Amino acid sequence: MIASIFSPLSETFIQKALLGGSLVAIVCGVVGCLVVVRRMAFLGDALSHAMIAGVGAGYLFMKLVFGKEAHAPAMLLGSLIAAGITVGMIAFVSRVSRLKEDTVIGIMYCGVFAAGVVLVSVFRDHIHIDIVHFIMGDVLGVTDTDLWVAGTVGAAVLTVLTLFFRAFQFSSFDPVAARAAGIPVALVDITLTLCVSLVVVSAVSMVGVILVVGLLITPAATAYLLCDRLDRMMGLAALFGVTSVAGGLALAMALDSAGGGAIMCFCTAQFLAVLALAPRYGLLAGWRRRRNMIPQQLFEDILGSVLRGKPPVAAEVVASHVHLHRGRLVRAIATMKSDGLLIEAPDGLSLTEEGFAQARRLQRAHRLWETYLARVGVPQQEIHAKADVLEHVHEEEAVDYIDDLLGHPERDPHGADIPEDFVHVEGGAPVPASFLREGRRATVVSAPPATGLAAGQRIAMAPRRDEGRTWVAKREDGTEALLDHATADAVMVQPDAESGIRPAVNPGAVKR
Amino acid sequence: MITDARIPAIQVENLTVSYGPRPALLDVSVSIEPGTLVGVIGPNGSGKSTLIKAILGFVKRDFGTVKIFGEPVEEARGRLAYVPQRGAVDWDYPVTVEEVAMMGRYGRIPWWSSPSAEDRRIVGESLDIVRMGDFRKRQIGQLSGGQQQRVFMARALAQGADILLLDEPFAGVDAATERALLEVLRQARSAGRTLVVVHHDLATAAETFDRLILLKQRMYGYGPPEAVMHEDLLTAVYEGRLRIFGKLAKEAKP
Repeated sequence: MIASIFSPLSETFIQKALLGGSLVAIVCGVVGCLVVVRRMAFLGDALSHAMIAGVGAGYLFMKLVFGKEAHAPAMLLGSLIAAGITVGMIAFVSRVSRLKEDTVIGIMYCGVFAAGVVLVSVFRDHIHIDIVHFIMGDVLGVTDTDLWVAGTVGAAVLTVLTLFFRAFQFSSFDPVAARAAGIPVALVDITLTLCVSLVVVSAVSMVGVILVVGLLITPAATAYLLCDRLDRMMGLAALFGVTSVAGGLALAMALDSAGGGAIMCFCTAQFLAVLALAPRYGLLAGWRRRRNMIPQQLFEDILGSVLRGKPPVAAEVVASHVHLHRGRLVRAIATMKSDGLLIEAPDGLSLTEEGFAQARRLQRAHRLWETYLARVGVPQQEIHAKADVLEHVHEEEAVDYIDDLLGHPERDPHGADIPEDFVHVEGGAPVPASFLREGRRATVVSAPPATGLAAGQRIAMAPRRDEGRTWVAKREDGTEALLDHATADAVMVQPDAESGIRPAVNPGAVKR
Repeated sequence: MITDARIPAIQVENLTVSYGPRPALLDVSVSIEPGTLVGVIGPNGSGKSTLIKAILGFVKRDFGTVKIFGEPVEEARGRLAYVPQRGAVDWDYPVTVEEVAMMGRYGRIPWWSSPSAEDRRIVGESLDIVRMGDFRKRQIGQLSGGQQQRVFMARALAQGADILLLDEPFAGVDAATERALLEVLRQARSAGRTLVVVHHDLATAAETFDRLILLKQRMYGYGPPEAVMHEDLLTAVYEGRLRIFGKLAKEAKP
């Protein structure tokens, strides 16, 4: 069984096809990476078509001048000259006309290709070139000359690309800066075009004019979906090129089809598979990413309902608070568990320390917004619903701003405790005394003399007076300093760690 | 390194550049002293980016000369560093933060050898200066706008060039990044570098730069902000498209 699969490998023409195809595919893959990142795929197409004129001219020249038939080096040189003329014309016309480059490429390569077709057909008695062979290629009929050409071209091109990799990378990424940094960008561009021409010329006899562009860009594009570095992309593109040739030849054997076509079919299928499955840039990955995304609002509503429900809270209770399709809720809870915000026990959900802190921040935002809405005169029955929307505006700066505007209130309109500004108070840096709640202890860092407090003094906060408008700081000797909002803001203190009281005690908070 | 104060860092004389029949720059002459932070202002399509690219020697000049420390620009390779406009960069290019910063060193690394330990040290330092050291292995498309801009700044610093040319570095970055970038620019100026920055925001131009170039194809003014942010000049260049200029120009006057 196995022997029958590998038996075609003993055929010389298959060995040659595999060797020649792989040589070409490796170089095509590597050069193709630069073609893809430079967006010059169309130019590759143009070069391959322009070749026919060069091949015809080279053939004719050797035949008429030296009487030699199908002189390979002359045809190769002719192809390069034709490619050079095409590129030169494209560059010239794009510069002197107002046409965009893609149009100019289209004009020039069709013109040169047509000239080649006319040349070959006019001199059909002298030139024995099979145009169909030229267009379709014949990977199963690879000759020794083809192998030599592919090997030499491949070695030369790979050497140049390896030695000057940095110059190619920089010029293709940011030509202006590359030139400023001292890279001869124009020379690098010409070298790249020459490399592409050489590779195309060496590949045409195997896969044909039409498919050579595919071999140039498809493996490179496949690698592009998997890599974030150009050097790795080149390596992977070479690998995909070889697998395309091997897989394509196997396909051609199995179906008894044209070799070039089978190679490109396999190559394209390979690309589509990677497009679907690539871990970061693939379709499946994108779909999964979108599926696992939790809208910020849902995330916050879940945290809020767990905090309010005195954890542990059964998932059903959360579901009754957030009106949502059950499946999405389960996924959201799963993601929040893996993010370390929730813990699920048999009796229900509870918050981790991180989840608790986040939930308290939201609760603070919600209750401050309610206080604000009550203060600006929003009717009692609308306050809660409006605050539910506004609590999602909880950037530290915005919340701190309303907190200050409202005079650091301790209770919301329903009489519930507003959590203190623990982000700042427990943040480790000095804060204004106005941030401190009853029971907090702190050391004065700086204070205006009029307050009667001095740097280094220890204070403990007593209950506020005048409906929360006067702060009372007790010194260690039992005397009191009375501060209004403005002076309390001016006194900077260093709060003691862990000296405070936590208004909303959370029995379910678990250290991770 | 010649940083003789008497030789201008950048000397542009009678520079004219055109794209097809449209003139992009007409007879622009300016002489920029070493160690100055210069802002280039002017309306859209006024040739600001073209001026930068002409100083870099990247666009073909119809006539005129550009001299870098007294030498023709063609011979000043590597003494200039460029930070491109955000829109001009292919953010899908498979390249990491560290590689982009290393590109600044490419002009100095001989083609036969790899980046040296010294090159790596300089790249690391440059990334630390712009506070991007933690993102070395990230592909550049996965950064925020401000972070992307800082990576390109690091590349310019790593190059160690005497002259830095920046095309709209503050476009599309948040206020914190703008302050941080500006701090880096000022440090570079203190270190004796010359910086030319294309700038869009007239409101902040006066306080940001030592000198301003006011451009609309022709050179309308070059000098200290209070001299350039002159109502008549701004009206001539912007054709009264924004009425608040009147107010701005007055505020800029001491």
